[in-house]
Amino acid sequence: MSRLAVDIGGTFTDVVLDRGSELLAHKVLTTPDAPERGAMAGVTEILAQEGLELRDVAMVVHGTTLATNALIERRGARTVLVTTEGFRDILEMGYERRFDQYDLNLRLPEPLVPRDLRLTLPERMNAAGEVLRAPTNAELAETAARVAAAQPDAVAIGLLHAYANPAHEALLAEALAAHLPGEVTICKSHEVSPEIREYERLSTVCANAYVRPLMQRYLRNFDTALRRQGFGGALLLMLSGGGLTTLEQACRIPIRLVESGPAGGVALAARVAREIDAPRLLALDMGGTTAKIAFVENGTPDRTRRFEVARAWRDMKGSGLPVRVPTVELVEIGAGGGSIAHRDALGRIAVGPRSAGAEPGPACYGRGGERATVTDANLALGKLRADRFARGRMTLDTEAARAAIAADVQAPMGLSSVEWAAAGICELGEEAMANAARVHAAERGKTLAQFQLLASGGAAPLHAARIATKLGITRVIVPTLAGVGSAVGFLAAPVAYEVARSILRPLRGLHGGTLAEELERMEAEARAVVAGALPAQADIRTEVHAELRYVGQGHALQVPLERASPGADGAALRDAFEALYETVYNVTLPDLEVELVALSLTAIGPEPDLPASPPPARQGAAAKAQQVAVFDPAEGAPVPHALRARPELALCDALPGPAILPEDQTTTHVPPGWQVQVHPLGHLILTCEEAPA
Amino acid sequence: MKAEHPPAMDDAAIISATVMWNRLISVCEEQANALLRVAFGAVVREAGDLSAGVFDAQGRMMAQAVTGTPGHVNTMARSVVAMLRHVPAETLREGDVLVTNDPWLGAGHIFDFVVVTPVFHARTLVGFMASTCHVVDVGGIGWSAEARSVFEEGVLIPVTRLRAGGRLNEDLLRIVAANSRVPHEARGDIISLMTCNDEGARRLQALMEEYALPDLGPLADFIFARSAQAAEAAIRELPEGRYRNEAELDGYDSPIRLCAEMEIRDGRIRVSLAGSSPAIAKGINCPLTYTQAYASFGIRAAVAAHVPNNAASLGLVEVDAPPGLIVSAEWPSPVTARHVVGQALPDLMLGCLAQAIPGKVLAESAGALWVLAISGDGARPFASLNVALGGMGARPDADGLSTTAFPSGVGSVPVEVAETVAPLVYRRKEFAPGSGGAGRYRGGLGQQIEVAAAEDDRALHLSAAAFERLTTGAAGREGGADGAPGRAEIRHAGGKVQPITTKGHYLIPPGASLWVQTPGGGGFGPGAERAPEASARDARHGLLDADPDSTTLQRPTGGKTP
Repeated sequence: MSRLAVDIGGTFTDVVLDRGSELLAHKVLTTPDAPERGAMAGVTEILAQEGLELRDVAMVVHGTTLATNALIERRGARTVLVTTEGFRDILEMGYERRFDQYDLNLRLPEPLVPRDLRLTLPERMNAAGEVLRAPTNAELAETAARVAAAQPDAVAIGLLHAYANPAHEALLAEALAAHLPGEVTICKSHEVSPEIREYERLSTVCANAYVRPLMQRYLRNFDTALRRQGFGGALLLMLSGGGLTTLEQACRIPIRLVESGPAGGVALAARVAREIDAPRLLALDMGGTTAKIAFVENGTPDRTRRFEVARAWRDMKGSGLPVRVPTVELVEIGAGGGSIAHRDALGRIAVGPRSAGAEPGPACYGRGGERATVTDANLALGKLRADRFARGRMTLDTEAARAAIAADVQAPMGLSSVEWAAAGICELGEEAMANAARVHAAERGKTLAQFQLLASGGAAPLHAARIATKLGITRVIVPTLAGVGSAVGFLAAPVAYEVARSILRPLRGLHGGTLAEELERMEAEARAVVAGALPAQADIRTEVHAELRYVGQGHALQVPLERASPGADGAALRDAFEALYETVYNVTLPDLEVELVALSLTAIGPEPDLPASPPPARQGAAAKAQQVAVFDPAEGAPVPHALRARPELALCDALPGPAILPEDQTTTHVPPGWQVQVHPLGHLILTCEEAPA
Repeated sequence: MKAEHPPAMDDAAIISATVMWNRLISVCEEQANALLRVAFGAVVREAGDLSAGVFDAQGRMMAQAVTGTPGHVNTMARSVVAMLRHVPAETLREGDVLVTNDPWLGAGHIFDFVVVTPVFHARTLVGFMASTCHVVDVGGIGWSAEARSVFEEGVLIPVTRLRAGGRLNEDLLRIVAANSRVPHEARGDIISLMTCNDEGARRLQALMEEYALPDLGPLADFIFARSAQAAEAAIRELPEGRYRNEAELDGYDSPIRLCAEMEIRDGRIRVSLAGSSPAIAKGINCPLTYTQAYASFGIRAAVAAHVPNNAASLGLVEVDAPPGLIVSAEWPSPVTARHVVGQALPDLMLGCLAQAIPGKVLAESAGALWVLAISGDGARPFASLNVALGGMGARPDADGLSTTAFPSGVGSVPVEVAETVAPLVYRRKEFAPGSGGAGRYRGGLGQQIEVAAAEDDRALHLSAAAFERLTTGAAGREGGADGAPGRAEIRHAGGKVQPITTKGHYLIPPGASLWVQTPGGGGFGPGAERAPEASARDARHGLLDADPDSTTLQRPTGGKTP
């Protein structure tokens, strides 16, 4: 039986078919008004090409940016929030902080629920989860009636300290269910994000409530459309955390789907890391508007539960909505192929964060874009071939690119040539990505020189080797089907589900049994979700992490917890914490007490099998390579590069750089001093002989 | 700082100088973020009360993190040079680290420790990493304006080697720990400042190696020249002239006058604060370094926000005052709550600029952070800090931000966290309707907070040192109404209400609560010009009328300039 992956992005919908023996890719345009239509078209087309039908497909794995777009465009449900009396404005007050010290004109994000739809209930828990004030039945009924009068599509409940005791949230949900029509969805904060910090928990539950009706409708429509055409298998959804889940669970907590696309890209990186036995991998995904990086160690991506969606002010950190759900830990950089370059007020070359996007696009697209972009720079340098772009369906206008660079960068910066200006644009974009990696590595106490770099997305393979050089990395991997990496990643991801709890407790005096009961409850919850998406008897393993910090600090470090003897003793956990603290901060503070802040538990099903796509083993000598000139800033002059289409490279072919290797959705640049080899599984492996300076 | 003309550079040099500049800013930002993650004390870590920067061999600041508050950001720029006057650079060896919490060398009160680490490359001193952070407790009478001199405010560490040749000065750390109510945390914060500098130094050394730089001189020249040019160009867009402004603060128990004369000429801005009130015997005095930090922040945010902080961009704005005033308090004046005066200065500066560029400057804001310094004795003594933020002034094309700190950059501690770290219960934390000044654009709203002891039989102590703008609200601009002044009171069990009118200590008896309403921001433009849909939205959201719960609250008056 075959499997299908469908990744709906802003511009394109990618479909990948796993025939059991090979992977095939197909790209169609996204249909924003009814995304399932474009998806169905893509599915039908790729199946038709292979002479298959939907009844031959055992599983469809799906990821979509629909929830994210609804949050960005504020197209979600009419949502009512009920919170504790006296705290009506938590959602709008936010962190009460300006995210940019110097910008007096900044705007904070509009709350998803406006003040007239924020109601309160007389009730109160304390931090220990003890009831200070219980709501009376009359108050519950009266509140429910006021909610009903507001005629919401969705209701979010977020009461203070509900992570410590959810009883009042449950009471209110019952009262609401009795007063509201059945189709109104009710979300409780302790179910969506049972963690301390009221603004972040309320923001998460509101975001979930806000997108839930839309996502339920959409996901059920897609499921129906598939089944109407004979599909009888399982529809699974990609979660931001890197695992797959069932349709039912996705409909209940759709906020966990927000980063499914990027999570797919990271799942691919994790897969390739295991395939080629790369213990430490830095995944770089670079598309049209942004680049994203993630660390994958021992085949497992770093994860976090702090995340921000829908940044509303110049893409700045802090201008979006915080969402506390499990996600792969990504650092986003506002540098992509479409990023616009200019001379800033300080006389520096600046790249991004503004992007020309797909429309009007870079100047070289000839669709009305007049601003110089990273793609224009690559064309002017000779790395992109004007006639080979997007399978030759599009011819790039080199003169337009050069004119834009001359006007926007070369002349204002006083540089001697368009090539130098183009080299400067690429260098600044590459530095931005390298720097994000450096910062992220320093935050996590990682040594970048020990990592390999994996490049996916349309633009990354052009820049990966240079970024690697900047980071002291000597090996770069460009996987097969890199241009549809997220969808391939969907097929590589296991079924998995993470649950987390805020549990504030000093490590001293923590004994084996203390956490066992809580962990059992968490495991039961996670396993129930995962089991629903797997065949009976499937092997399910669990991973447990404890989040620890010195008492008095705000930031916690995540330490793996041996499940066999949970918190067997505080001393062992303390040792693990101090070892990690030393790695990250180069110091320990032995006089201070360590406390547990949160537990997280992930249940994970088996890794799916994924066919490799080895290129044909070629007989005889390879065709003689054509030569092209690429401007090299190290030489200050054009340098001849070998030009070879990637599909023409045969198994285990090795080619010394410099070279340019175009394929359907991307182009790989092999700089001087690097060489490239085709891995038996089809990936390109770029290596640099000497450790770069 | 002289605006030098950049030396002629070739293509590769122009590109690499930009890359290196970006990298330096990132190194600082990373250092500050690392500090944020390891800092102790809820208000410090939630609020970002810290900063970090990189300096050249002469102690001139080349780049700085923008995380943190202007009080740290801008004072630190001068700290390194000031500290090198006490310990000359030529006496520094590899492995040395300097530290001080001297308010007149660092960030204006003894809570702020500045740690400076010389950076060596090929055995030569090439620059310095510096960072600063608020330490929760350093002894004395704690967070309060009641000390009569700096001697009572805590232990003061003169410029000292925290590490000498790689060897940690444990004696010094023991002195700090012995004087602190939270010795381990105080030690931890100081150690963290040092290790963050070490990491920054390694990044700086790696950068110099990658680009084969023997020293930072040419890069510093490039950064300073480009910054000075850009800042000067921005200042030259302002009409030249002299502009005067005055403000009156509640003061400790009698009003304080702040006077400014701003001269804009030849691409520079010079401010004199002569004529301001003299220093007083209570801890709301402000050392000149902190005064300069906030005054110049207000000017730069309005005039040249796009230019990164460094010695050159900061150098084009000069702020001075004769010694001994409340804005230039001298040793040993008490200075703990120096932000009460310091954070009033941006509004004072913006008032001058509004005369130079009418229509383009936001209205006045709530000003000084209201610090909720609450402590309790008994079997489980505690001391807690949180902030209560007011409204920001309305902007020329948008409403003011509600309950958002300005000019400070700190945020508040979440209620759930505040109740976890101290035995307190917040009964209310909600917008104060009607508190923003009316106008074409409305001032940001203040908030009402009510907090009480978690146990019915516990009394609380409160320092009201930072409850400012109780008498005069934030002024509107261009015809906008004033924001509502703040209010604070103790609500006793029997219903009796005791107003808080001075910055002293108050006892909150068992069963009573503290109730505050923070000041709202001023409005911008005449209220009659407000878009009808904006008024309708405010009405729908219940934001126009004062809440019936706050019976003592008065509606904002029409403002000074209706």
